Amino acid sequence: MPRSSYTKSLLGPELYQKVRKTKILVVGAGGIGCELLKNLVLVGFANIEIIDLDTIDLSNLNRQFLFRKPDISKPKALVAAATARHFNPTSGIDIHARHGNVKDSVNDLEWIKGFGLVMNALDNMDARRHVNKLCQAANVPLIESGTAGYLGQVTPIIKDKTECFDCVVKPAPKSFPVCTIRSTPSEPIHCIVWGKTYLFGKLFGEDDEDMDTEELDKAKAGGENAEEIENLKKEAAAFREVRKNLGGEDGPQRVFHKVFNEDINRLLAMEDMWKKEGRVKPVPLEYEGIMNESFATPPLRQAAAQQPNVNGQAQTNGNGTEKKKGLKDQRELSLKENLELFIDSCKRLSARAIAYPDIPLSFDKDDADTLDFVLATANLRATAYGIANKTRFEVKEMAGNIIPAIATTNAIIAGLIVMQSLNILRQLPSLSSSSSSEASTSAGPAIRSVFLRTDPIKPLGHSIPAKADPECSVCRDVYIPLKVDLARCTLGTFVNDIVKTWLAEAEFEGREEDDEEVVEWTIFEGGRLLADPDFDDNFERTLEDLDVKRGKMLTARDEDGKYRPVHFSICEGDSQASIPYSLPSTPPLIPLLPAKPATREPSEEITILDSMPPATSTSVSEVTPISSNTAVGTKRSAPDDGDVKDATAEEEQTKKKRKVVVVDEDDDFEIL
Amino acid sequence: MSNLAQARLHEERKNWRKDHPFGFYAKPVKAADGTMNIMLWEVGIPGKTGTIWEGGLYKVMMTFPDEFPTKPPKCKFDPPLFHPNVYPSGTICLSILDEEKNWKPSITIKQIVLGVQDLLDNPNIGDPAQIDAYQMYKNDKNAYEKRVKQQAVERRQK
Repeated sequence: MPRSSYTKSLLGPELYQKVRKTKILVVGAGGIGCELLKNLVLVGFANIEIIDLDTIDLSNLNRQFLFRKPDISKPKALVAAATARHFNPTSGIDIHARHGNVKDSVNDLEWIKGFGLVMNALDNMDARRHVNKLCQAANVPLIESGTAGYLGQVTPIIKDKTECFDCVVKPAPKSFPVCTIRSTPSEPIHCIVWGKTYLFGKLFGEDDEDMDTEELDKAKAGGENAEEIENLKKEAAAFREVRKNLGGEDGPQRVFHKVFNEDINRLLAMEDMWKKEGRVKPVPLEYEGIMNESFATPPLRQAAAQQPNVNGQAQTNGNGTEKKKGLKDQRELSLKENLELFIDSCKRLSARAIAYPDIPLSFDKDDADTLDFVLATANLRATAYGIANKTRFEVKEMAGNIIPAIATTNAIIAGLIVMQSLNILRQLPSLSSSSSSEASTSAGPAIRSVFLRTDPIKPLGHSIPAKADPECSVCRDVYIPLKVDLARCTLGTFVNDIVKTWLAEAEFEGREEDDEEVVEWTIFEGGRLLADPDFDDNFERTLEDLDVKRGKMLTARDEDGKYRPVHFSICEGDSQASIPYSLPSTPPLIPLLPAKPATREPSEEITILDSMPPATSTSVSEVTPISSNTAVGTKRSAPDDGDVKDATAEEEQTKKKRKVVVVDEDDDFEIL
Repeated sequence: MSNLAQARLHEERKNWRKDHPFGFYAKPVKAADGTMNIMLWEVGIPGKTGTIWEGGLYKVMMTFPDEFPTKPPKCKFDPPLFHPNVYPSGTICLSILDEEKNWKPSITIKQIVLGVQDLLDNPNIGDPAQIDAYQMYKNDKNAYEKRVKQQAVERRQK
């Protein structure tokens, strides 16, 4: 009996056929990607492309089980495919693995159109947005997913049927105001960010001397106050001086004195700064005093001093003559130990900087020297400001923006992705015949967003995907594939022949037959404005010359802001054809933009969690396992109110717990 | 960059051309490749008449992040300015430009430049950003005013 017999009878012949034939794209071969690829192969998906730009790291091996130690530093996608290929000996399983960035220019609209279904297994917002936009432009269904610790979600995104990834505003990665970081830290994270970005950069980062001096000289030549410029130069030079001497025997000690004593005294001189409520004056640290343990440790400030640490253990305060037993990294260092670690890590880093002067150092949580430096500087600064110290383990998590990744969560989410993919495939038109009968496509469980929660009684919740936001600036816009020979097509051709001629033939929503309205357009490429009604300087230049590349979009926005913008998605053109571009045979319908209220006060609360159901009260009910009886798919039971309440409470609770939630299945999300 | 940032900056540019406060200018910077960079604007802020800042036109570079308008633009006097709330680098410390404080995605470029103009003559002494201007402002108002007036002359509107 062939291995696929059970799957075939479970799914039914038609769905099984779709599973075998539909071309699937998996974006990401990390925590979720490995689990997902295994599932897809076992279910019998036979036409898979998997792409990942990353290589395998030691820290991946605990959960990305397609990789083994000898695979370290090999491309993830290639190794994942090579391993998973053998899980299902059924003939004809084809996995096309690519080591590359999904944002590369070859991955254009035409490429994404080649897939029947796309599955995201990504770890960052930027790539998620990119794939979402591509899928919207190409009208290919997408299953979006993510996990964070015990939480996770799977969200099907289908153009015009559901909301897209960007319909719901996602919280921007957290950053801190300059003033707080440079002058008035009040929490451990402020000190960590200061050590990691500011001081580390100043001491070991790229030297920006040339730029600084050049800029200042220019300002001076421009008639600026010479004295002031000299002062600024002096300040920049002071740091450079410190930096230069870092390699010397007493270099680190001098840095310490400048940063933790002189600079703090300078801040103290600005008296009004410390009059503000809630601000605590820092205390300058003294090298000798700390070394001979005569230095009186400044008292901890009241607020936020006592927070349980990540493991829920109570934290010992201060500057520990009292040392906790346990793992070395989870022990708090004394003030003297921090100072010694500062001196030592400075020496280690400057030795590296001297040995390899051309390679600027950068912070990496897995680089012990840099982590030690950030740990020590953050704790010294925290001590000066009366802020609680952190252990090496905690600093690593905070500075490295580590989001705990749990193999089991990834596995559950990957399983749910496959279930939703079956639901979507069931609704797609049959592959074999073009005359797809309605009856055969509508049966089966409905498409759902599914959430993994921390409620042990009801770990899974699901909701009907919300409708698209009519104001969404991604999925409501118009997308047009433009096959173009970039070397021959000028911007003038694009504006005159394509936008002003071809696009003018389009049907504009709300426009009367005999309306002679002439729409004026501004042309953008990303953050660049290429042309507008008064700016045609670049008309003679080719798109290639303007650095418009395959995979990018040329966007036409009308001057009156009346219509939806039109994005022309650049695909590879025919260099032999007489006309350097080709367009769809009929121009699209251009909808009106929704009318804007005069002054739109955006909602203050934009802390909607990526991992949770949308804030709009979509119904959330218990997940029923997907019925194996596919012939007569059962409709899901209606949600009852109790469940809705539950989910909301859960959501709020989680919101409080994790103020900065970014759903990432991996650990490399940048906070700053 | 996101569609949203592009849409919003297109709108800001349109609105500014239609109507902007007298004596100000604001425009995307022309990049080396001959296109306009809508993520970087050059802005001119005149000192208010009747203040010690009068006569100067202070240039500010506004850098819009990809997450604009969720996040505020970074505003930097170029060259740096002698003012208690301006960092030695030129970066402006102002609550409406601070996402932790009073930044709202609905704040327009016009509102920002008016806010910065207002800050010139109304420094916020609780949040000093450079020691020179701060100490002179505190300890020697006459010298401070003289210095600011001199600066206004140096940055006279050309």
